[in-house]
Amino acid sequence: MLIGHENTAVELIGITKYFPGTIANYKVNLTVRKGEVLALLGENGAGKSTLMKVLYGMYMPDEGEIRVDGKKVDIRSPQDALALGIGMIHQHFTLVPVHTVVENVLLSAFNTPKGKLPVSEAAKEIEEIGRKYGLEVDPYALVNQLTVGMQQRVEILKALYAGARILIMDEPTAVLTPQNAQKLFEFVQDFRQAGNSVVFITHKLNEVMEIADRIVVMRGGKVTGELPREAASENELARMMVGKDLDEITVTNVSEGDSFGNIVLSIRNLRVKSARGHMAVDGLSLDIREGEIFGIAGVSGNGQEELAEALCGLRKIDGGEILLESKNIVGKKVMEIIKEGIGYIPADRHREGLVLDMSLEENLILRKFESESFSARGVLIQENIRRYAERAIDEYAIKTPSSKVKVRGLSGGNQQKVVVAREMDIATTALVAVQPTRGLDLGAIDYVHRTLLKAKAEGKAILLISTELSEILALSDRVGVIYRGKIVKVFNRQEAKVDEIGLAMMGVSNDEAQ
Amino acid sequence: MKRSKKIALSLFPVYSVFLGLILSGLLMLLLDANPLFVYKKMLIFAFRDAYNIADIFAKATPLMLTGLAFGFAFRASLFNIGAQGQFYMGCLATVTCSLFMNNFPAVILLPLCVLASGVAGGLWGSLVGYAKAKFNANEFLISMMSTYVAIAIMNYLIRGPLIESKGEYPQTDVIAQSAWIPQIIPHTRLHWGFVLAVVIAALAYFILWKTTLGFKIRAVGMNRDSARYAGINEKRIFVEVFFISGAFAGLAGFMEVNGIQHMLVQGFNPYLGAEGIGIAILGNAHPLGIVFAAILFGALKVGGNLVVQTSSIPSSIIGIMEGLVMISVIFSYFLRERILIRMEKKMLQAEDRKEDPRV
Repeated sequence: MLIGHENTAVELIGITKYFPGTIANYKVNLTVRKGEVLALLGENGAGKSTLMKVLYGMYMPDEGEIRVDGKKVDIRSPQDALALGIGMIHQHFTLVPVHTVVENVLLSAFNTPKGKLPVSEAAKEIEEIGRKYGLEVDPYALVNQLTVGMQQRVEILKALYAGARILIMDEPTAVLTPQNAQKLFEFVQDFRQAGNSVVFITHKLNEVMEIADRIVVMRGGKVTGELPREAASENELARMMVGKDLDEITVTNVSEGDSFGNIVLSIRNLRVKSARGHMAVDGLSLDIREGEIFGIAGVSGNGQEELAEALCGLRKIDGGEILLESKNIVGKKVMEIIKEGIGYIPADRHREGLVLDMSLEENLILRKFESESFSARGVLIQENIRRYAERAIDEYAIKTPSSKVKVRGLSGGNQQKVVVAREMDIATTALVAVQPTRGLDLGAIDYVHRTLLKAKAEGKAILLISTELSEILALSDRVGVIYRGKIVKVFNRQEAKVDEIGLAMMGVSNDEAQ
Repeated sequence: MKRSKKIALSLFPVYSVFLGLILSGLLMLLLDANPLFVYKKMLIFAFRDAYNIADIFAKATPLMLTGLAFGFAFRASLFNIGAQGQFYMGCLATVTCSLFMNNFPAVILLPLCVLASGVAGGLWGSLVGYAKAKFNANEFLISMMSTYVAIAIMNYLIRGPLIESKGEYPQTDVIAQSAWIPQIIPHTRLHWGFVLAVVIAALAYFILWKTTLGFKIRAVGMNRDSARYAGINEKRIFVEVFFISGAFAGLAGFMEVNGIQHMLVQGFNPYLGAEGIGIAILGNAHPLGIVFAAILFGALKVGGNLVVQTSSIPSSIIGIMEGLVMISVIFSYFLRERILIRMEKKMLQAEDRKEDPRV
């Protein structure tokens, strides 16, 4: 480590970052060299952005140290980071829309003598930097009148004006058209040629192969692999991203293709908008039969959450139909869908699945407190609730001192058991499970899996959405791959190959791969 | 977590009441007054005779209700800063009832006044909830501003249609005796309204923890995403919570007009709403805590007033005492939260070390 400092721009050593309830980064070591493009690859939630926000001074690490040019530094704010030559381009722009380009650029360099903004000097410099790197933009244009691609340029100019030598880019192409993305890549190459460094956060494999010199893969808050581009293949990277040992999964519970009953849940041409307004689910169709687990594999952000929310009445549907036992349930409210017997295990038990500060028994009845067994004329029937909770605690082996404790105090596995117990009870016809084992230990994962298989044995139609390919492969009878809001490929479990699924997840069709 | 540590943490607000009193004591030193002597006198005055003791509870009555108004909405993570305005609307409703329906006997008139003040405060409050539900308005600002509108309405009515028959001062006539809340102890100011306020606190507790409405309110308050996922219509909850919260504040109007003043004077009790916020925070937004906090403030007021009247200490010292107690209690909650988060972090770290054999 001590040799070759002259080539090292930044070193992160043993960085650990805790958030209440989770560990976002765990003893992460990362080196960024001068004159290289480092791709930081990983699933959403792998800890890439957190790590880079630590470097950019937006988060303080709980453990570990940062060295810039071999010297230990203390970065307490983005101002400190910029002073050390570290700039960051965020996924969501940090521009003031009603200000001009030059005003925005000066925003991160406002420590000017006598408090006077050097507008005309800055404008000249912006034009100069723009010419140098092919980032021309009118310094006096209002930001809200620029296209998204131009706005990103302004973000980059802002960092360069402030003297950035190390540029962190958080999924910069997510908002760009392919042409603009190509332009961005050209800039990245030019910037690197000039001896600077770029950290490129992404989960798109083709981009990595195109521009990275070196690739670091993160998973679950830790660095799981590092290799130069020449040594990498898309297949290999896909494996590193989704977990290495997928081929060893034994297929135990898969039924024969024709042993299923009737179609229970049928989705036809579904279209659903995301919170940001784009069509996240865009013409998706699938059928799930009685006693079948249909697994949806895909990189997160391809419409999985929107699909699940639409199915459970939480998101407005913009087109298509959802047939539950041949009855269209589009437009029904959450409560009505619960009554129809569709259970929903949401991706995030802390944000959505549970009210952490409510008691275990209150969480068990969270989605059916108005049913007649739990309330009469608006008053809760405490006795019934308690007895119901005790039965569920028993049946699902939830480890808790009593049914009255807050679920916040339970372990992750037991919290998830509360969600699973509740939704299994609701799911008389179908169950939608999104990331049902996220963040659980092996014992709890096994328990959740066995419960899903039990539901399958009971003849429920199960939609399993997970970014854990191993989970999909271990449980599903059929695997559909979702990409940009569509099911692009469906495999029968016996025929499913990890490589093929992996490539389909990245939007690579078979022909391209060959 | 160790049990003793947990108990120590839960007692933080109690320590901080004393801390607030000690800080006020330091300020008294600057006035050349001996704080020990002042506090001793305060205690003696507050509990000197039946009249003073009764007065503690009489003073606590409206504070309890404005405290509940803030605390109840707070359970839904909503900020009702407009209890003062809702209180005035309640005052106007009850005084109108008392003045114009004075032919009715007390058994009919008093329940009518209760109803009128509650509904008036509730409707005024639910306007805030409606603005939030419909236009996603910030309830903090809207409720705060609604107080100024309420004051303007009060000024208009009390100088116009409701002005006393002499037409001299901006106040109403004295209401008929049948509209007076009966006293619990004769020749004191303690009236049955205090008991009613405690019953209302119990009702607030019942709604919050024993009914489906309370279940929904708390779910919305603690996690809006989960509440949505449970099919709860949060917009409806906004309106309902603000109605109930406003009704509590409106009832404080009934207590003050029919129980103490027996008339409505323009702009009286101008700090009731603000003090209610402090009391709700002091009582951790729990109805029982609010009852005790209101009584504590009642005692501070009674003892403080008498000390101020019989010595050279300026009367502002009561406000300073109340303020410092509130600030130190709020700070204690903040500190407690910080300690709890740090403990959780340590626990996570320890658990992690156990699992990871490399460390």
